[in-house]
Amino acid sequence: METLKELFARVLDINESEINDNSSPSNVASWDSFNGLMLVSELEKNFNVRFSIGEVMSVRNFKDIMETLKKHNVTEGID
Amino acid sequence: MELSDYIIKSKKLVKDSSMKNVRIAFLSNFTITGIAETMKFLCFKNGIYAESYVSPYNQHIQDILNKSSGLYYFKPDIIFILLDIENFLGDSFYFYYRMNGQQRNDLIQKKFDEVKELIKILEKNTNAKIIVNNLLIPNYSSMGILENKQDFGIKNGISHFNNMLELLSMNNPKLFIFDINLFCSKVGYEFMRDRKISYLGDIKISPSALIKLGFEYMGYIIPLMSMTKKCIVLDLDNTLWGGIVGEDGIENIKLGLEKEGKPFLDFQKRLLELFERGIILVINSKNNYEDAIEVIKSHKYMILKEHHFASMKINWQDKISNMKEIAEELNIGLDSFVYIDDDETNRELMRNFLPEVLVVDLPEDPCFYPSVIEDLTVFNLFNISDEDLNRGRMYADQNKRKQFKVEMVDIESFLKQLEIKVDIMQADKMTIPRIAQLTQKTNQFNLTTRRYQEEDIKSLLEHDKYIIKCINVKDKFGDYGITGVVIIRKYNDEGCWNIDTFLLSCRILGKNIEFSLMQNLIDNAKKAGVKNIHGRFIFTKKNKPAENFLEECGFILDKEENGEKCYVLNIGNEKKNSSYAEVIEWKL
Repeated sequence: METLKELFARVLDINESEINDNSSPSNVASWDSFNGLMLVSELEKNFNVRFSIGEVMSVRNFKDIMETLKKHNVTEGID
Repeated sequence: MELSDYIIKSKKLVKDSSMKNVRIAFLSNFTITGIAETMKFLCFKNGIYAESYVSPYNQHIQDILNKSSGLYYFKPDIIFILLDIENFLGDSFYFYYRMNGQQRNDLIQKKFDEVKELIKILEKNTNAKIIVNNLLIPNYSSMGILENKQDFGIKNGISHFNNMLELLSMNNPKLFIFDINLFCSKVGYEFMRDRKISYLGDIKISPSALIKLGFEYMGYIIPLMSMTKKCIVLDLDNTLWGGIVGEDGIENIKLGLEKEGKPFLDFQKRLLELFERGIILVINSKNNYEDAIEVIKSHKYMILKEHHFASMKINWQDKISNMKEIAEELNIGLDSFVYIDDDETNRELMRNFLPEVLVVDLPEDPCFYPSVIEDLTVFNLFNISDEDLNRGRMYADQNKRKQFKVEMVDIESFLKQLEIKVDIMQADKMTIPRIAQLTQKTNQFNLTTRRYQEEDIKSLLEHDKYIIKCINVKDKFGDYGITGVVIIRKYNDEGCWNIDTFLLSCRILGKNIEFSLMQNLIDNAKKAGVKNIHGRFIFTKKNKPAENFLEECGFILDKEENGEKCYVLNIGNEKKNSSYAEVIEWKL
């Protein structure tokens, strides 16, 4: 299993060191709508969770992803 | 690797000058982002550099209808069309049964006619191969268990559409139908459709399934680039049977009708099936010859027998040397081989030392051996000729010829006793597919290595300036089929002919047949009052065997430039070369 940061960095093709809580589509160029969907699909697979469409729509930044995963009782690999 | 990995990696690929190019277009009525990138990556692994065009979201129809669209500007070599059934049928997908049987029938017919018309226009405006995905048959019906009792129900309606599509492609060398239903049954409906992603982005094929689709589509790219594999090289212990015959003994190896022996038997059946479709089989194995041959000759469930193998290297020599010897013996390029071996070290060695050979990984569990063969898409051809179907057998026959050759004292009496017969025929409907195939696949004895598609040959024939002939070769051991091509461009006003193409399949090399064919060409030129014949040798990496041919026939080197040698033969100055074939020319 990948950590959230590893997965996020890989899918968006950026360095883990560039990621912070406020990383968002407005400051990460590769986070476009298609890659957003890739994130959904790969996060679900990696952490074995299923997001609702509402959850997907409400994510604004990296921190929101972390929070959403916590809501799904994911504890490992997200810090 | 996930779809995002394919996308990122594909962007970082750098083209190498030795790579072949292919231009792939995708037309679709839903979002297919990722398929082009996946295929670019897969092509790259096969030494092909792919450039792609994807029609703007849901604008495939505009792209086809508008002659100055991005699609035509792109000039694709191959076009994939993917239609999602829900987007395709619109509201009728959900409310199919609001219509009565006749209306349903009419709708499907109307929808089919639309697609047929689009394909026709596409065919007219491009020379590309066109691959149309058929429609996915829905796995739900509001009629439930009565679905298949409906007059023209949704399942029957879509099947009917798909059948009509297949009929349309049947005699059309440019059109191919990709069966998305077969694909779906392989990967599973739920795997293929990610419902959430589809609601979020109109993505009708899940990211994971899209990768698998890319692998399937490579089955069209390989023949398009003339990279179809010809031969499977097999290990023995733990590959064709379970266990090690030298240690376990013939009675204890696993091969048979039950449990542990069954996967190996089924694996052999899949291989035998390919042999019967023309794939050459050979053995490259480290064993005591006596142990192994005993199994091959006498094991009850060994269905691959001696006569199926074109070569058997069963020895203690390293497998790389064996492999090189096999390539030399069969006279086919290393890039035509698929290597199957359970031993990882051997596979690594092969990959490192002979990277041209396609090395296939065998899974740890033999239960999955048969599926390894099922997943190979490298044997695909756009059409199968009799020559293709018989190739495996012909190469196995070749083994017999070799034994005969050993007994002969000199080459002259050897060739005489072969009783070679050459039939020279004009190109016609029956032979055009094979002629095109030979121009695409022949690398060694090929003066100009000009590659032609079937459509090209047809349009040359319509021109009365061209003569296109092929030869069929037989000897006392069997029929080699159509194995040579000559294309002449006539300049009769100037009293000269130009050899556009002169090639012989490697199967019939070493029999002086090229001289018979040239003699025939010269005789015909004389009859037509031609004064001289121009010929050309264009250097490639592989055509050394043909380099001196024109000189040997009396052609004089005129000039040499840009990797080409231009020759002229003044009729009357030709050199006679011994040929031992009986030649018959068939006139139309």
